[in-house]
Amino acid sequence: MQSALEKAIELILSGNRELINILSVTAKMSISSSLIALLIGVPIGIALGSASFRGRSSLVVINRTLMSMPPVVCGLLFYMLFSGVGPFRSMKLLFTVKIMIMAQVVLITPIVIGNMESYVAAVAAPVRETARGLGLGKGKTLLLLLNECVYQIFSVYLLAFARAIAEVGAVSMVGGAIAWKTNVMTTAIMQYTNRGDFSIGIALGIILMTSSLIVNIAISLLQRRVGR
Amino acid sequence: MKIANFTKTYGGRKVLDVPEFELKTGSIYAVIGANGSGKSTMAKILAGALPSDGGILPLEKGISVGYMPQKSYAFRMTTQKNILLRGGDEKKAEELMQRLGIQSLAKNRADRLSGGETARMALARLMMGKYDLVILDEPTAAMDMESTALSEELIKDYCKETGCTMLLVTHSMRQARRLGDEAIFLHGGKLWEQGPVEKVLFFPEREETAKFLDFYGV
Repeated sequence: MQSALEKAIELILSGNRELINILSVTAKMSISSSLIALLIGVPIGIALGSASFRGRSSLVVINRTLMSMPPVVCGLLFYMLFSGVGPFRSMKLLFTVKIMIMAQVVLITPIVIGNMESYVAAVAAPVRETARGLGLGKGKTLLLLLNECVYQIFSVYLLAFARAIAEVGAVSMVGGAIAWKTNVMTTAIMQYTNRGDFSIGIALGIILMTSSLIVNIAISLLQRRVGR
Repeated sequence: MKIANFTKTYGGRKVLDVPEFELKTGSIYAVIGANGSGKSTMAKILAGALPSDGGILPLEKGISVGYMPQKSYAFRMTTQKNILLRGGDEKKAEELMQRLGIQSLAKNRADRLSGGETARMALARLMMGKYDLVILDEPTAAMDMESTALSEELIKDYCKETGCTMLLVTHSMRQARRLGDEAIFLHGGKLWEQGPVEKVLFFPEREETAKFLDFYGV
């Protein structure tokens, strides 16, 4: 155990090429998927939280259900759609980083929508009431609402990124954890552990936990700023 | 200023049933009544913040309304920026802050002010504008006595300067007397009594009004 830990630290400090490749694929995948999920989820979350229309509560329930979708179910769905018998097989996306990003977007977007919706639902009414009381127009009211959401958007992005970087079920199914191509930190930890090579697994674990710690500290600092 | 009759129903229960009535331009109306009598609901509907049954608009078109809700909201920006939301000159904003004793909080984040400070900021913010009808829903409920006195003085001066009509929802009968020209007593969602403030408070026509006032030692 001690020697594996020592070797892991040595791997991190020496800049091992395979380790760097895994880190860069992980960064590419998680930054892309969390940003795309944010771009799709934030406007939908704001609209869902601030508008009142028939079917709104049904959409909220559907989104909450999607928030708890198991990653392997999402992976299975993408596998079936893009594998040799699936309708999108001609796109040849299976076992690429692109499909890993797509699967993660499907997993993360509902989380972004849900977090934005619950926040906006709480602030939209007083913002609208105050703006109307001051005789402000719809455009200015929307700008004020968006201004109230700024910190929450940052906080939600960090949550999405944390979810993406730690996700394993969907990316291992659609990415295949191919070395030098689609292997990310979580799938590599599983792979190396199965092989009995603990040192790379531990090194990746240390990096993963450190990034998770940094993201969580950032979330906590932002939430303190958001908290009223 | 004519107010058309309107109602409000929540879950099958009619919580407000207001007949057509008139407000004298330039007068301050103290709106009094027990909890749940419909004061805030009436204020919200007149301010356009809540739809009445059937979406009836109780006010004539073209009447501008300024409204300060019961719970003042502070936007995530400085006190000064909150007050300048409607635009207007900084000098006026400074003068209002000074009169309400919040000039030292100008550069502070408004969403971190205390309840009383937030209410003073909201009052200054509203008074940067000019309206035909101003509705204040318990504007001084969160304030201490000194802030209440400063706010009441400002409210009086604002009404004199702008010539607006004002509806002041309050639980303080003393405040109703100090500021109000007229009083409106709501009971069970109905406009029970309306008239000069001294008459409603000291010579009420209805038993319910007298019973309500008894609790306040009027």
